[in-house]
Amino acid sequence: MSPAIDIAFNLNGRTVQTRVAPAMTTLEMLRENFGLTGAKLACGEGECGACTVRIDGRTINSCLMFAADCDGREVQTIEGLASVGSLEVVQQAFVDFGAIQCGYCMPGMIMQARYIVDRHAGSGGELTRDDIARGLEGNVCRCSGYTKVVDAVAAVVLGEAG
Amino acid sequence: MSVQELNTVFAKETFIGKRVTKPDAPDKATGRTVYINDMVVPRMLYGKILHSGRTHAKIVSVDTSAARALPGVHVVLTGEDIPELRFGPTRDNVPLKAGKVRCIRDEIAAVAAETEAIAEHAIELIKVEYEDLPAVFSPSEALREGAPVVHDDHPNNLSLHYEFSHGDVEAAERDSDIVVEHRFEVPYVTHCCMGPGCVIADFDTAGRLTIWSQTQYPYNFRMDLAPALGIHPGDIRVIQPPVGGAFGSKLDVYPFEPVCALLSRAAGRPVKLTFSREEEFINSPTRQPVEFRIRSGVNMDGALTFRRVDALLNNGAYTSWGPTTPVIQMRTFTGHFRVPAVEYHAQAVYTNSVYAGSFRGYGNVQATFVTASVMDMLAEEVGMDPIAFRLRNAQSSGEVTPQGSVLDDCRLAECIETAAEKTDFLRKHAEYAQARTRPGRIRRGIGIATSIHNAGGAKIHKSDGCGTILKLDDYARATLITGASEIGQGIDAVLTQIVMEELGIPKEDVTIVNNDTALGPWDVGVHASRTTFIAGNSALRAAKAARQQILNAAAKQSNVSASEMDLRAGHVVQADNGVAIVRLDRLLRQMHFAEEPELVMVSDYYEPNSVPEDRNHFGNLSAAWAHAAYVAEVEVDTETGEVRVLKMTAVQDVGRVINRLGIEGQIEGGISVSLGYALSEQLKMREGRVMNPSFRDYKVFTAPETPEIEIHFIESDCSEGPMGAKGIAELPAIVPAPAVANAVYNATGIRFFAPPLTPEKVARAIHEAGQPAAD
Amino acid sequence: MVIEYYAVPGSVAEAARLLCGGRATIVAGGTDLTPQTRSGAKTFAGTLVNIQRIPEMHGIACDGGRFRIGGLTTVTDILENATLAADVPVLVSAADHFASSQIRNAATLAGNLCNASPAGDMCIPLLLLDAEVELASWVGDEVTLRRLALAEFFTGPGKTQMRSDELLTAVEFDRPADEFRAIYLKSGPRPALEISTVSLGAAANVSGGSAHGTRIAIGAAAPTPLRARATEKLVEGRRLDAALIEQAARAAVDEVSPIDDVRASAWYRQHLTAVYTRRALNHVAGN
Repeated sequence: MSPAIDIAFNLNGRTVQTRVAPAMTTLEMLRENFGLTGAKLACGEGECGACTVRIDGRTINSCLMFAADCDGREVQTIEGLASVGSLEVVQQAFVDFGAIQCGYCMPGMIMQARYIVDRHAGSGGELTRDDIARGLEGNVCRCSGYTKVVDAVAAVVLGEAG
Repeated sequence: MSVQELNTVFAKETFIGKRVTKPDAPDKATGRTVYINDMVVPRMLYGKILHSGRTHAKIVSVDTSAARALPGVHVVLTGEDIPELRFGPTRDNVPLKAGKVRCIRDEIAAVAAETEAIAEHAIELIKVEYEDLPAVFSPSEALREGAPVVHDDHPNNLSLHYEFSHGDVEAAERDSDIVVEHRFEVPYVTHCCMGPGCVIADFDTAGRLTIWSQTQYPYNFRMDLAPALGIHPGDIRVIQPPVGGAFGSKLDVYPFEPVCALLSRAAGRPVKLTFSREEEFINSPTRQPVEFRIRSGVNMDGALTFRRVDALLNNGAYTSWGPTTPVIQMRTFTGHFRVPAVEYHAQAVYTNSVYAGSFRGYGNVQATFVTASVMDMLAEEVGMDPIAFRLRNAQSSGEVTPQGSVLDDCRLAECIETAAEKTDFLRKHAEYAQARTRPGRIRRGIGIATSIHNAGGAKIHKSDGCGTILKLDDYARATLITGASEIGQGIDAVLTQIVMEELGIPKEDVTIVNNDTALGPWDVGVHASRTTFIAGNSALRAAKAARQQILNAAAKQSNVSASEMDLRAGHVVQADNGVAIVRLDRLLRQMHFAEEPELVMVSDYYEPNSVPEDRNHFGNLSAAWAHAAYVAEVEVDTETGEVRVLKMTAVQDVGRVINRLGIEGQIEGGISVSLGYALSEQLKMREGRVMNPSFRDYKVFTAPETPEIEIHFIESDCSEGPMGAKGIAELPAIVPAPAVANAVYNATGIRFFAPPLTPEKVARAIHEAGQPAAD
Repeated sequence: MVIEYYAVPGSVAEAARLLCGGRATIVAGGTDLTPQTRSGAKTFAGTLVNIQRIPEMHGIACDGGRFRIGGLTTVTDILENATLAADVPVLVSAADHFASSQIRNAATLAGNLCNASPAGDMCIPLLLLDAEVELASWVGDEVTLRRLALAEFFTGPGKTQMRSDELLTAVEFDRPADEFRAIYLKSGPRPALEISTVSLGAAANVSGGSAHGTRIAIGAAAPTPLRARATEKLVEGRRLDAALIEQAARAAVDEVSPIDDVRASAWYRQHLTAVYTRRALNHVAGN
């Protein structure tokens, strides 16, 4: 029998504890142990980005990361982006710009978009549409064609700059 | 009622054509939406399927003893455990195979267990002994004398075939100034829905099935699923939760769904069965691959004279909708541009390859790649530019095609002219062609393509209708129950807008219900670009009926007649000056609690005025037809063969824009799929096996590869469409690919007859053509 | 194999002790290990050792003209390091062509090198830099280090000289001279999310119009990332004019042994080898 590993970490602003199997992925842990089904299993090999969450401030494919390694870290999922009853700025932009169709890829896309905006903040330089598109290269979407996704992120960058 | 209210004035506001956000978007943005892949049902078991992985073999024995003995396993089923239950358009498929396997997908056994991991382990423990049989993978091989027989009841491997002819093609060929023949081969591609295949089945104590399915056609799905389970279609309730895309992949019954139901019945528990991405790539139905031979004639004055098309279709091991795509292919070959004489022959042939279903565009992707490429080649033959040549042969409103498509609102010429003007097409086309004579590593090209598609449904079933039930509660909140399905395409937004427009209530007060066959009225399914048109028309008629009922009731208690009233901002108002008469919710309560009470609950069933084809494939199959012209501007690296699409200009004949966000999203998304078809997507098959079943090696377009997109709408108010709208969503997935191929020709002088135009393919062709060396 | 023991060492010494006996699987970011174990290409050993919490394996430092990059440095760390951008831009360029943002944030340099894919993006610039890998193991009662030239490290697809009881703790190379010019090229219409059909790097110290210390490294065109030594020798010390570059392109094609696979044919890989050799040498020569 595989040992069960007890871990404790910060999940969306709260300290949590759980038990994981050694080879369990972070995605499995989030979905099964915490019922946070925002992050999706769409490929399981880090090629599509639908499982994107933020660990210690950096986005990663949670389908690849070992759950046990969340121990002591800060984990943010799509469910932790907004406060109750409202949408966070990037989420609102995705809604307003019509970026969301079936929406399956969108939790991952929005997490990555937020990361791109945060990385850029305070850098003083320009974030072009090409930069945004490159930042999203690891997020596959089959519905939107990406144009309105980039529109939404560009608007947030402009808004947060002004 | 307060005096203040009566003095309030409401101006007329319209939401048609506006950017109305999608009602379900906020939940999707926060991760709150529970997709079928996220669902957990109490007492649920997990199902997994053992696929044969063999292309053609006798099943000698199946030993499930180790699987059954594994703790946590509840049910193991094989083909021997169930009667032979045939399903599918030609009834040639069964949920679990016995006797022999015919392709790698073949479902040999299935397991239901307490966890997915246990189910997967149990699958690995099932031992199958096979005796391999000679296999055949290409239609031409399968047609040969002595070829392996895939189905005993089709000893010559012949599956469906289609024939159409109009005019005298032989005479036309003799009289044509120029006759050319070309061969095209278009590949297997797959939908790549972000949500992999998933189904949940549960039987109640009376033996009635509830199935949570990704199906796009829930009502007829009952009819098609029933024979696979040996139950009555009336005993099947289909619930469609939010899904991660569909694009035509869920318009038929595929084995995994009846298998899941069989597991559930045997286990006496709900069972959920999910595909891994690898399973999805291998088992999801593909787009129909086709080998085309096309002979075309043209006269030196630029008039098309004839088209003769022979299409050879790989039917694969079982028949789904792919081999029926000739029905729509034909409409383009016979009806796109004026062609006096046409002949079309299609033959589908059984092989031991994987099989095709329906995929956004449904045959028109394949047909348009051919016709749009040939139009450019014919233009060159007669020395005309691609624009003038197309305009020369474009139909006008009122024309009827050889198959009886009535082009009552034909905007083809306008699409072409607009596309040419907005892209400075002729100047660039000439400039880039000239540049081919000079050395240069990076070459630019511009190309145009056009097509026609059914825009008012497609009457391929006895009815092409959709039902609506609309009610208002005592708070003026509306619920619209439609037979249509929201699969991400945005029908929820369109129907909401229609209700907002007719009843003058805000978006937040409208709920669309669209996913339960026990609740909803019938609809034939989400396909054929029909949902805005047909579900929209049905919703519009229901909303108008509700509006009339409300205004009649308001008129009874006022000195204004119903025809002088309007509904705006939650109020009944005087239409001419907008002065409020009564609040809508108040009026509804008055109606409800009156001496002769009435509730506002109306229903509608809309059948478009199209006709099914007769046996000779003649008839006005759709209540409306739409055209589109797309221009692609590309850059080709002649050394690496990489093609970069710089810009796509889309000109679409849409009747009327209802939701500007939604319609643009459909165009941008369709372009992405079509560019993948043109440049990077292909399921690579080797002897019936999928060699690239992952996103790593099956290349869909990503954000940085996406070109700039410019969209122009031709709005001419289609008389039949709701608010004048036509269906539009397949053309964007159809037209861009040949525009890119034509642009690559403009850049390099090399014609490609078999997409995708991968870097290797382009580099090799340039190399073999002995292009002038780079600078 | 079932994992029986999970450990999170806090130091190289602790990790090395756990690796004694060679029955351990090392995990860092998991970007290669997870797909490989899920597909069955790799199986877990009895002990799973998570090395992510070893502080001494992080960090990018330059001491006395020698760069030391800790094994746990992520590709993003490399991509965003200002000193590397200034002194070794070719390494940053390769990091920019690596997979996707999410993968870069998790993928470690040690992991990429130990995975030993013939296409491994980070290997190419490190071969141009004559990098060395540092391998640690527990011998007797202490940590023992050995160094290997990266050019000798790879032995076959997925195979390296590293023993099963060893840990790749750091990569080192000398800061290149001011005259060092280098470029990294990778095939495909996508900027990054792509297993290379071919990747190629070229570097040389260019002075007086001639190339010295030429290095040419090619990925995905042979069983391992390789140094095109015969081609290097051909151009060494000479003026990189069009005729020589053309010869070099042909020589490079002779040095690779590409296969046909699902991504590309051998022909196309040879074709790209020639194209990229030309482009890379032209860049290095300043043409």
